[in-house]
Amino acid sequence: MITLEKVCFGYGKNETLRDVNLHIGKGDFCAIIGANGAGKSTLTRLMRGLLRPTSGRVLIDGQDIAAARPSTLAAKIGYLFQNPDRQLCRNTVREELLFTLQYAGIPADRRDALCDAALERFSLDGDGDTACMSRGERQRTALASALAAEPPLLLLDEPTTGLDYSECTAIMERIAEMNERGVTVVMVCHDMEIVLDFAKTCVVVADGQVLGEGTPADIFYNQPLLKRASLIPPQLIELASRFGGEVGRPTHAEDFAAIIREKRSQK
Amino acid sequence: MKGFLEYIPGDSILHRLDPRTKLLMPLILCLACFAADSILLLFVILLFDVALGYLGGIGKQTLRTLSKLARIMLFLFVLQILFIQRGETLIPLIAGLRITDEGLRTAALVALRLIAATMPLATLLSLTKLDELADSLVVRCHVPYKYAYGVTAAIRFIPEFSRQMSEIIEAQTARGVEFDTKNPFRRIAMVIPLCVPLLISSVRKIDGTAMAAELRGFNLRGRHNIRCTSRFGLSDGVGILVCLALAVAGVLL
Repeated sequence: MITLEKVCFGYGKNETLRDVNLHIGKGDFCAIIGANGAGKSTLTRLMRGLLRPTSGRVLIDGQDIAAARPSTLAAKIGYLFQNPDRQLCRNTVREELLFTLQYAGIPADRRDALCDAALERFSLDGDGDTACMSRGERQRTALASALAAEPPLLLLDEPTTGLDYSECTAIMERIAEMNERGVTVVMVCHDMEIVLDFAKTCVVVADGQVLGEGTPADIFYNQPLLKRASLIPPQLIELASRFGGEVGRPTHAEDFAAIIREKRSQK
Repeated sequence: MKGFLEYIPGDSILHRLDPRTKLLMPLILCLACFAADSILLLFVILLFDVALGYLGGIGKQTLRTLSKLARIMLFLFVLQILFIQRGETLIPLIAGLRITDEGLRTAALVALRLIAATMPLATLLSLTKLDELADSLVVRCHVPYKYAYGVTAAIRFIPEFSRQMSEIIEAQTARGVEFDTKNPFRRIAMVIPLCVPLLISSVRKIDGTAMAAELRGFNLRGRHNIRCTSRFGLSDGVGILVCLALAVAGVLL
């Protein structure tokens, strides 16, 4: 779905990304993790075509997007920014979704149906005033807007920042649902618990380079890699690692509890 | 990269000038530009503006500002040529319109005047710490504390708003709004709906900043709380004299 070939990028003289090679397959749920300033958001903006690499190529479905105007990719790629206020520019939620659908090039006769489907999927009130909603509602509206045109690829830049537990879970469950329907998801995230719970693959970025790729378990049980990227694994993995391989590599509390129970019964 | 009017740190002679000088010099240059009726003198002032940028170590940024202003002024230049139909015809245009010698001269004067008058303030504010400017205005010029900080806070928000606008434009481009079109008129028409998110985020930001200032005792502060170390020196005198000389030339020429 997305391929980056020897991509380099810099803001002015500072080189933010160096020789990045990456492939994210169709239907994947990929989390990009790394410390602040590692180049994660720059990577997603390059994938969206909002930035042009100084060298190298970004391919979406095998097509180099260098020549494409970013606005023409709207129907293909949904993008959620960290701050929903950057995206919301209409008075009501319905107007907001219809605005996205219009610019994504969806025919006028299909827009209302798609808009209603998005409102229902994200439990939103179409007449809600976008300026008066809570942070969580605004984020949900921005996400509904990014997904309204049902793009096959969704790029998320820290979708859960500033949200409480219930809003965070609600948003992530909707994203996982879309992924199950076949939407490829690429998500920049600082919350390792969320990455462990939802992502299928992980890409570790540090100092503008990809340090490692793999399943969340592969990444989070690789202590030297995490140390190099200045990351801390989720608590469950931290705890399991303290047993030094005695309990295997559980990624969920239930698995961990089952292993412990089994060990106790063996004794 | 620093935004428009954002402080650029450095140790140049212009950085070390008294903040009052850095307000006074653009003011005198602005008066010189509006007094001048000579294209040559306006060119000289413009060169002086660029030289100020290089002297402050922000030559490239000054040229970038110049190029942006020139693009805006080009529009004004064309309008002036079309509206001023007095004088001798140089080139006849369609529908009875013509380019005249007087139209050309007035258009050049207006465009040059506006560029030369705007640039020094942008350059010198980029070389001034806004806190030092506010302190200097309060202690040395006896401007009321609230007004001095209100003005500097407003200046501080300009690059912030400009950055926010860029981010909003980027977010809207990602949704398919054609900000990447080459047609400038379409781009301008598309900016209008974006004023809503900019206004919302700006009001939120200003409200937050005002509250944070209140919580840190903004209302309790006054002139007695400020320690201002800036003093007029030789370089301040030289700077002001050069600007005054240009202003006198503006009045005479």
